[in-house]
Order: sequence, then C-alpha cells, then structure tokens
Amino acid sequence: MLSTLLLIPFLGAFLLLFWPGQPVPGRMRVVTIVVLALQLAWSLRVLLAFDPGDGGMQLQESFAWVSSIGLDYRLGIDGLSLPLVLINAALTLVSAVCTRDISQRPRIYFALLLLISGAVNGAFLAENLLLFFLFYELELVPLWLLISIWGGTERAYAATKFLIFTAVSGVLILGAFLGLALLTGTVDFSLTPVLSERLAMGSQLLLLGALLIGFGIKIPLVPFHTWLPDAHTQASTPVSVLLAGVLLKLGTYGLLRFCLGLFPEAWALLAPWLAGWAAVSVLYGSLAAIAQRDMKRMVAYSSVGHMGYILLAAAAATPVSLLGAVFQMVSHGLISALLFLLVGIVYRKTGTRDLEVLRGLLNPERGLPFTGTLMILGVMASAGLPGMAGFISEFLVFRGSLEAFPLATLLCMVGSGLTAVYFLLLVNRAFFGRMAITPPSEDPVADARLDIRLAAVAPRETIPAMALAVGVVVIGLIPTWLGRISEAASTTMARLPGLVANLQSGGLG
Amino acid sequence: MPIISADLTHAGGRPTAAELEAKLLAGQTLLAETANHVMQVVDVLESYGEVLDAYSINLIYQAEQQFLNPLPAFRYLDGDLSPGKIWRHLIHDRLNFEYAEYCQKSMFWHGTGGLDAYLDSEAFRAGCSAIIRRKTGRDPLLALLHPLFPDFLLELIRSAATTHALGQFWRVMSDLFLDLARAEKDGQVSTVAAVVEFLRQGLVAAAANPITYAVEVAGERFWVLPPQAGLTFLADVAVPYIEAVFLRGMPFLGTVSFNAQAQQVSPDQSTFAYGALFADPLPTMGSGIPPSLLMQDMYRHLPERLHQWYRQTSRGEGDVRVKICLSFQKSMFCVTNAAIAGTFPQPLDHADPAAQAANRAYAASWAARLSHSRTDCLDACDL
Repeated sequence: MLSTLLLIPFLGAFLLLFWPGQPVPGRMRVVTIVVLALQLAWSLRVLLAFDPGDGGMQLQESFAWVSSIGLDYRLGIDGLSLPLVLINAALTLVSAVCTRDISQRPRIYFALLLLISGAVNGAFLAENLLLFFLFYELELVPLWLLISIWGGTERAYAATKFLIFTAVSGVLILGAFLGLALLTGTVDFSLTPVLSERLAMGSQLLLLGALLIGFGIKIPLVPFHTWLPDAHTQASTPVSVLLAGVLLKLGTYGLLRFCLGLFPEAWALLAPWLAGWAAVSVLYGSLAAIAQRDMKRMVAYSSVGHMGYILLAAAAATPVSLLGAVFQMVSHGLISALLFLLVGIVYRKTGTRDLEVLRGLLNPERGLPFTGTLMILGVMASAGLPGMAGFISEFLVFRGSLEAFPLATLLCMVGSGLTAVYFLLLVNRAFFGRMAITPPSEDPVADARLDIRLAAVAPRETIPAMALAVGVVVIGLIPTWLGRISEAASTTMARLPGLVANLQSGGLG
Repeated sequence: MPIISADLTHAGGRPTAAELEAKLLAGQTLLAETANHVMQVVDVLESYGEVLDAYSINLIYQAEQQFLNPLPAFRYLDGDLSPGKIWRHLIHDRLNFEYAEYCQKSMFWHGTGGLDAYLDSEAFRAGCSAIIRRKTGRDPLLALLHPLFPDFLLELIRSAATTHALGQFWRVMSDLFLDLARAEKDGQVSTVAAVVEFLRQGLVAAAANPITYAVEVAGERFWVLPPQAGLTFLADVAVPYIEAVFLRGMPFLGTVSFNAQAQQVSPDQSTFAYGALFADPLPTMGSGIPPSLLMQDMYRHLPERLHQWYRQTSRGEGDVRVKICLSFQKSMFCVTNAAIAGTFPQPLDHADPAAQAANRAYAASWAARLSHSRTDCLDACDL
C-alpha cells in the first residue's frame, strides 16, 4: 500500500517525460494535477487503513535490496510520518494548481514537481537509514533545478547556495549513519530506536552532533539558515510553497526520527543546550523578519523562527511537546504555504513585494481585497491566534516544554509575540492606507492622485489559498482529528529516553 | 512577462491656476472636449438627477413632517410605514439618505451667504420663539428640554431650515439634470461646452426663485424662512452649497480623514479642501465614507449606455463605483464651471477695462482654489 505512494508520483514523472509529441503546457499541468490528486486520494486511503491506537510502525513493506551494504527497501508509517505524507500530497497538488504561465520547459517542470513529491514521500516512509538518505538526496537536485531554471533574476546564486548547504547537510547525515554502523559494528541500517545504547557517550555525541548540524541546515536553524531567504526570494511561488510547506519538514522529521529516535540518551544530555538553541533561532528569525522590506523574505524569516519551536518541543521530548511538534509541522506547512501563495498573488498583480512601496491593497474596488483578507487570516494564524492551527501547535509546544525548559520556552513565547509584530507591520504597510504600488515620489500630492489599475484576482486564482485557509481553520477548531493520528506515536517517542535508562540499568533486561 | 508597477499607474494632468483662469475668462470648458466626456457627464448626471429627486423629496419631508421630532427613527421612510417599505429599509434595499444629511450638515456647518446670515438674524429668532412656544405647549419632552437648553430647539430649527433649503435646491438641480439627459437624447446637447451652457442657463433661470419654508405646528402655520427674508436660489443656496459641498466639505469625506488624525486639518474653516472636487475616487479603508455612499446610490440608477461602457473598462463591475466617482467628479467640474460662468460680475465680452478687471479677479479667485482640486480628472482618459 505504501509503495503506491511512491509509484504514483514517480510513474507520473516518467509519463510526463515520455509523453509523445509536444503537448501544450496546459495539458502537462492537468496531467500533473490528476496524478497528484490520485496521490492525495491514496494518502487518504492510507489514513483510513491507519490504526491511530498503535504508536509503532504500521503497514510495513520490505524486501531485501542490496543487503550486503545494509540497504533494504523497508517502508512503514506511524503517527509522525502520516500527517507529513498528507501535507506533502496536499501541498504538491496546491503548487501544481497554482503554477500558471510556465513558458519554458513545462514537461520538465512538472516532472520535477512529481519527482520531489515522490522522493519526499519516500523519505517520510523509509524505515532504513540508507533508503532515507537516498530519498533525501533525490529531492535535492529537482529542487535545485526548479530554482535555477524557473527562479528570479538572482536565481543562479540562490540555487547554488541552496545546493552547497543542502549537500553539506547530506554529507553530514550520511556520515553520521555510516559512523553509527561503523561504531556499532553492524551493517544493519534499519531504523532501530535504541541502536546507540551500545556506544560510548562521546561517540554518541559526535554522531548526534553531525546529524543535528545536517538537519539543522535543512530545517533551517540559526546560524545555518542563510540559504533559505535567498532560495525563497528567487524561487517561483509554487516552489516556495513546496520548499516551506514540505521540504523544510524533512529536517524537522529527521530531527525527531533520527536525532531523538536513534540517540535518546545523548539527546537527553544535550537537551538544555538544544532548547537554548531553539530560543536563539526563534528570536533571531523573528527579529530578522521585522527588519525585512521584501514580503517574501519576511515570510521566509518567519519560517526560521517557527521551525525553532519544533527544536524546543523535541528538546523537551514530553508527549505533549512532541504532539505539539507534529502540529507545528502541519500548521506551519499550511500557513507558510498560504502566505507564500498570497505573496505570490500580490507579486503577480503589482510587480513588487517591497513593503516600502506597497500600500492599501485591501482597497475594496481596485486593490486585492480578498487576497488581503486571506493574508490577514494567514498572519493571524501564524501569530497563533486562537481558532486557527497556529494556536494549537504553539500552545502544545509551550505547554509541553514549559516545565522542562522554562526560560527557553518563555523566550520562544516572546518570539511568538514578535510574529504578531512583523506580520502586523506587513499587513499595515501593504494592505492599509491609500493604495500605492510605486515608490513615493518627491510630491506627495501627485502620489495621492495616482490612479492604479491592477488586474483583478480571478476567483480560480484564490482557490488554492482558500483551500489552505480552510485547512488552517479546521485544524484550529477541530484539532482532535490530527491529534488522534499522532498522539500514540508521540507518546511512544517521548518514552525513549526512559527506555534507554531502563535498558542500561538492566530494568528490561 | 514581468509586471512593471509603473505601467499600472496613471497620473492625470495638473493645470496651473493661470491656465484655469485663462480658460474661465475665455469661456472655455474646464473639462476636455470629447464625445466620451459628454456621454459620461450626461449619463452620470442623469443617475444623479434620479438620486437627487429622492433626496430632495426626503429632505423636504423631514423638514416639514419630522419637524422638531426628537427621535426621528422613521425619517427616511417618507411617511410610508408599510411592512414592505420597512423591510426594504432594514435589508438596506434603499438609497443612502445619510449622504443627503452629510451634505446638509456640511452646508449647515460651513454656512455662507444670505441663508446663513438670516439664520442668525433677530427676525428669525423672533419667528422661532413663536414656533417653540406653540410646540412646547403640546410636547412635554420639548417643554422640559427647552428651559434647560434654550438654544437647542433654535439650533434644530436652523438645521431644519437648511434641510428644507437643500431639498428645494436639489429639486431644481434634479429636474435640470434630467432635462439635460433628455436634451442630449434629443440631440440638442452634444458637446461639453453645450452641457456647461445648458447647466448655466438652468442655474440662471432659477437664480431668482424664492427660497421659503413654512411649518405647521398644532394646526397653525408658521414661517421659518418667510418670503420677506428675500432669500433666492442662486445667491443664498446654490453658491453656499457649492462652497460647502464641492469645495470645503468635511475632513472625513474620503481618504483625507487620515489628515485629521495627523492633526493636519486646518483650524481655518474657510481654507478647508475636502469637498467633492477634492475627494479621492479610490475609497480607502472600506465602505461607508460619504462619497462611496453616493456612488452606491447612483449605481442603482445608472443609465444602460454608461453602465455598458463601465463593464468594458478596467475591472468591469468590480470597480464600478470608482468609475462612477471619476465620472461624477468630471460632471461636478462642469456644474462648477456653469456656476462660475453664471456668476461673473460682468459679461465676459464687456469692453470696459474695469469690468474686465473685475472678471479677472473673480476668475483668479476661483482658479486659485480649483488648482488644488482633483483637476487630474479633466483630461480625456479611459477609466
């Protein structure tokens, strides 16, 4: 059943690549949307087959592949990966739907989208470390191409920076996995949570450190974040949606699954430092967001801040905080995708994202009133207002982490307050006041008289954003739907450090 | 294709005061002479005429039937209290009579000319005393209020007098605008110059119409604005109306309301520039500000020809109220143009140097004020 989640996008990609003749871009887009809709439907089928009460891996599939080097094809799904698989299916569909005006190489563009979606599914489902690494790397090249071919004017710089950072991340992760095998003396790369208990603490810390930096680059955490704002600024809207909504989650997923999952003992030792790192990342991301004048960069820096909550939750590693981490991954996926979509609409209609230039876009007659309305909803959700997904995730993260790391949690709460600051700045500058889309001139009277003729936003252009906004509100109002899926898994994961302690004291022996 | 922001903006022309003065003295129209302008101005004035008809009826009803009513909850219903009318009122399937009240308040606040002078006269005060005596004798609430606040009822009567006067003014203007639309259909008017001339003749013809106002209190009839006061249409109502509504206005008319918050509103009422000729057609901060109220009302009565053209330009129905406002501003410049032409101290072709100097001074004073207004709408342009 899980293999189908890989087959659908990969076969779709091949279908597009070998489609005979020169089909028009619109047809390519429709085929991609159909394939992705199938993938979403199949993901929902997996959801139906999933047993929420079981905290372990389910629906497992495996066959020996290259056993001599420990590479087995083993897939499984649990309460941590299932929401991410669903988000991946939904957001890739959204980015295909919101792709318009692809003038060059539509065939490759859509094939790469499908390839990324399949690789991400593979990474979330892999139960073998090497298999995970393969999928993790597989997603990298298509994304690099998507930025460097269909990006903005500085795309070469941004794409190369992205490639270098993520390649280093891959090397570190592979190094840690190989190191683990080397030091434990096995060639078994299967995902066994307490494999590391045989290792000395020094080795554990070394391997965990490599993984932390590797995933810290991907998440990204300060100071490894510098590739992200550039990549977002140069990427087209659909690619930004994928990058923020899905690909960053590979990092946080790796953090929970491999850092916490493989090295619970070393993790417990490092946890206070990790919580401090989370607070620094949150505060730095938020403060940097305040200083931005490009709307897209502001949203990108908000991602840096909000990903810090997941590190905090993982450091605390309580059942509630880990559940909060899952919620944060899902809600950040939806909210940041929504914000990037809306910024994309603003950019497409006005030709600028500059907060020193844009004014009054909520203008009911000649502005972008509906886009502005959704933007206000999105920023409220991001700032954690009750009734929306952001509130649930932030509340769970803070509630779960406060007792373990009160200072770091309080600092992260300040970061949450700063989210309201920078997003209110964004909304106030770009959406309120007298409408303007050009830089102010020397003559304010002339500026106040400029007639502005933006093309209207067609209803179909807002459908993807509306769907995401509905998701944000539904999760905010009925969080139990998501909570039920992930609760057992996060509780199991939170037990790991205790399990290791028991093992060492011979309690379970 | 990248979108260049600058391509999406349009800046209208900004004629200098000297250019405006020269046009006024030469008898040229302020608005550029194009066939499209004629269509816009005539059609928008037709819908305005329909709206003014309703406003006028309502203002006169309020002044006569809701006179000194301390709680005029049903004042917009023109006395028709049928369930259907009340229902349409509640679901807002109606005109925004609030806009008419804004204009009345504006006139009342910026009072100029003979009407304002008469409202402060002893004769008016004496007339009001008789009315108040009669009214308080039968209304216990007013009988209680009057000794406590002796100026309150007097001020309400002044307000009612302005309301009635505005109702009478709009009666004439409504008929004039609807006549203009008929004249254009009949082929008598086909240029902007002819529109201005038609309006000028209409204003001049009604110039000497008396403005009077009487109320009936407990079966007895009282004059509020008696014929003896000698108030006339052009000098005492039309010109003060233009001053109050076209030029000065109130700070909350349109986007300039932000200036009030920024303490940028002039303390000198006479230099206010928030009227219809200064209003920003782009509504800011949503609905509800007075210009958009009027545009909503005019939208209900838009002639099909103009509506059809609006549907074809820019966002079609999406920004139709902005387009109505742009056309409306063009038409208001025509009305102002006609009013100026009708009130020159001497005929424009007068040979006497002293008469010419007087005309020049008159044109210069208007041009100085208009040069700060939204003259960017005077050029021919698509919307």
